[in-house]
Amino acid sequence: MKKRYNLFFAFWLLISMTACNKELDSTSHDVMYTMLVNKNWYLDYSITGNGTQAFVGQSTYFITYLKDGTTKDSDGLTGTFSIQKANNNYEIQVTAKTVNGNSVNYTHTIETIGEGTMIQSYTASGQTTKTKLYFTSK
Amino acid sequence: MRIVKLYFPSFSFILLFSLIICSSISAQTIVPIQKDGAIINEQKKSSSPTFIKFIGDHVSLFGAIDFAKQSLNDKGITAPINYLYSAVNNNAYKPGYVGGFRIDPISKSKYSYSFSMAFNRIATGTYYQNKYTYPPYISDYTHFKADHVFTTLSIAAHVKKMVFRDNAAKYKFYVVAGPSFDYKISNLSNEQLINGAGNRSIINGDLGAEFNNKGYYTLFAHYKLGTNLFQSSVSVQLNRFEIGMSIRAKDLF
Repeated sequence: MKKRYNLFFAFWLLISMTACNKELDSTSHDVMYTMLVNKNWYLDYSITGNGTQAFVGQSTYFITYLKDGTTKDSDGLTGTFSIQKANNNYEIQVTAKTVNGNSVNYTHTIETIGEGTMIQSYTASGQTTKTKLYFTSK
Repeated sequence: MRIVKLYFPSFSFILLFSLIICSSISAQTIVPIQKDGAIINEQKKSSSPTFIKFIGDHVSLFGAIDFAKQSLNDKGITAPINYLYSAVNNNAYKPGYVGGFRIDPISKSKYSYSFSMAFNRIATGTYYQNKYTYPPYISDYTHFKADHVFTTLSIAAHVKKMVFRDNAAKYKFYVVAGPSFDYKISNLSNEQLINGAGNRSIINGDLGAEFNNKGYYTLFAHYKLGTNLFQSSVSVQLNRFEIGMSIRAKDLF
């Protein structure tokens, strides 16, 4: 009987020792990446301060992020993107070229991202007010 | 391949589980089958204050249907992720199943005991306590999506108090209570692991009733209230009802 108690105790000890399951650093990144890629993200609203521009139902700007790390948008920009963590925020960094071959680099903060909705924000140079871009995927 | 990984992710668990099973089987083969009188004599000889001996007569296999619901508080999640509340919230009990073995050793005290080990295939409805909005255009979302189907390996130790006995028919009714422990052995999704939320260990408080028919089989109904054993950014309350039956292993094999 004592042997059996020891077995139960050993089992308890084993699972207790292995029970701490810490998040890998890449987990949040991976989930966001999965939600982001292989979709067309259409811009529905652009909000700067109290000013709102609505594009719902219109032919509007859209951007696609592909699983291979490339991106293209409706303005003709093509390039690469990555998701980085900086100051407890997640950012999309895009390195692209225009149709004329000019380099364009920008970084937007991911305010929130889901399967169907995403909000990015940025502060334009010379501005103090943040601009928020509301996207939906279709 | 995925199914195999889902059910058997860890070799160490299989090894340990096999060890315990084998140990039970060897005990049944070494100890000769004893009559009631012999068991009583054995009780008198024992130096153990509480338990006498695990013998073949007292190892049972059991199966049960399980209804589960989990309630989550995702206040600790900081990742900028949203899930549509109406798509993930399901405040209902969902059915799963349980299978395992239990040992009911003879006890000299007025309380008796049972120890069990089981595989639990748990499907849960999930209630998210918090809704968030991102004004002006996004409303009712959560930061976290929990796995709602998972497999656990559990152990339980229950105290049984006989509340009614029909001596003529040899029926016994028990009230049981005690702790149990579940360890998730299925893979956790990346969503479940966000911000350290993926705690595999669940500690439960169990309460239930059992009906024993002449020692041949036992019908039982248990309620289990569980929570994370270790600190997590998402606190989980897991409610389960189990209704099942155990049969003496000796009668099955």
